[in-house]
Amino acid sequence: MAQMLASEMTMTQSVAEKAAKTKIEVKNLNFYYGESKALKNITLSLPERSVTAFIGPSGCGKSTLLRVFNRIYELYPKQRAEGQVLLDGYNVLDRSQDLNLLRSKIGMVFQKPTPFPMSIYENIAFGVRLYENIAKSEMDGRVEQALRRAALWDEVKDKLDASGTSLSGGQQQRLCIARTVAVKPEVILLDEPASALDPLSTAKIEELIDELQADYTIVIVTHNMQQAARVSSQTAFMYLGELIEFDKTEKIFTSPGQKRTQDYITGRFG
Amino acid sequence: MKEHTVTAFDEELGQIGGLLNGMGELAGAMVSSATHALLAGDNALAQRVVSDDALMDSRQRELDDRAITLIAKRQPMADDLRAVVGSIRMAGDLERIGDLAKNIAKRVGAVGQDAIPRTLSHSIDGMAQLVLEQVRGVVERYTAGDTAGLATLRNDDERIDVKYTAVFRELLTYMMEDPRNITACTHLLFCAKNLERIGDHVTNVAENAYYVLSGEQLPADRPKADEMAAPTA
Repeated sequence: MAQMLASEMTMTQSVAEKAAKTKIEVKNLNFYYGESKALKNITLSLPERSVTAFIGPSGCGKSTLLRVFNRIYELYPKQRAEGQVLLDGYNVLDRSQDLNLLRSKIGMVFQKPTPFPMSIYENIAFGVRLYENIAKSEMDGRVEQALRRAALWDEVKDKLDASGTSLSGGQQQRLCIARTVAVKPEVILLDEPASALDPLSTAKIEELIDELQADYTIVIVTHNMQQAARVSSQTAFMYLGELIEFDKTEKIFTSPGQKRTQDYITGRFG
Repeated sequence: MKEHTVTAFDEELGQIGGLLNGMGELAGAMVSSATHALLAGDNALAQRVVSDDALMDSRQRELDDRAITLIAKRQPMADDLRAVVGSIRMAGDLERIGDLAKNIAKRVGAVGQDAIPRTLSHSIDGMAQLVLEQVRGVVERYTAGDTAGLATLRNDDERIDVKYTAVFRELLTYMMEDPRNITACTHLLFCAKNLERIGDHVTNVAENAYYVLSGEQLPADRPKADEMAAPTA
């Protein structure tokens, strides 16, 4: 018995040591599209430098939750959020929050690749110039570094002047990730980043996510359950605007605690 | 349990479950026939066990094929994933039970055509009944989703181990009493060892079945005999 207790205490200690610092803490978050309530009292903590996946059927609020983190929803009328989203303890929903600064800290990549209609080089330099005034030689270094980080450098190094839109879909998506990484964010939001890509490009994006989590806190929304299982450390299952279950990814996909989660991930839904 | 949106998924899981159930029933029948054949010197029955083992092997291969195909096609998750992986593992143990029953049956020829004297076979007959109850019980409890029953059944293997030790001592005594008993008793000892191994495979099946149903592993260590109530058998 004493031995069991001792081993349990050792386990608790090791779990505590591994428990990463919280990067984003969502507290009692509600979100409205006009009169319609899209998020209902969401509370969850996302650990630093790891990948968190949001899964759930269409319309469950997972993309909405992602869009609250960098307040991109404010680009649209009649959308409002109530509650708190704490980034390193500071509420990003606070009116005093500088939105440009927030969006430089929390980058976002969308489902459809959205390269700017300009050269590959400029696609990356454009964002950097918004925040920093640096010399051409330093900018060259930043562009290369970002493209290397997004595992795209070898494919585009000889055609940096070519248009970003001339790249393949998978390359365009990695260009968007490079563009996001170039402004040195702390958090990267990925909204179904690989759903329009072929399997090989998807694999490259997943490999990239795995590498990036060493330096960034990553949140990914995906309809592909196997992808969520492959890339994330923790998974949140949402349904009808509610957070149903949030746990370690391996627990969610092998032995979920809630019946609704189980029904969804095993394809018994609706 | 709610049905899958893709109905073929339910059918494929059902086929795997049906095959596993059939293997469990066949394992029970083989254990029963093998011990009966040995104790009664029934060569025809022993031959049937040998041919049943080929059937058992082919069912396991079919189950493996179906399970691998299902994983490739459906990418099962949660309880479905546990059921498919668990079925592969349980089928492996049931197939081994079939092999051990065949080993028992193959001794019939070695012992000869005569039935083994009742005095010698009485206690091994009791042990066989105990093992048979376990083999049949594990399949029944898995099918019924009885996790508590599976945990108890796994611990009940201790009764087989205790019985095996008793049979071992008893047969040694018969051999010392009369050397003419040595041939029969040696075969019975092999039979007892095979029955004890069958009990171990039933334990594995119970552990896997428990995990499939609950998503949790039973504790690695079983309670030992001195920590349990005195064996009833």
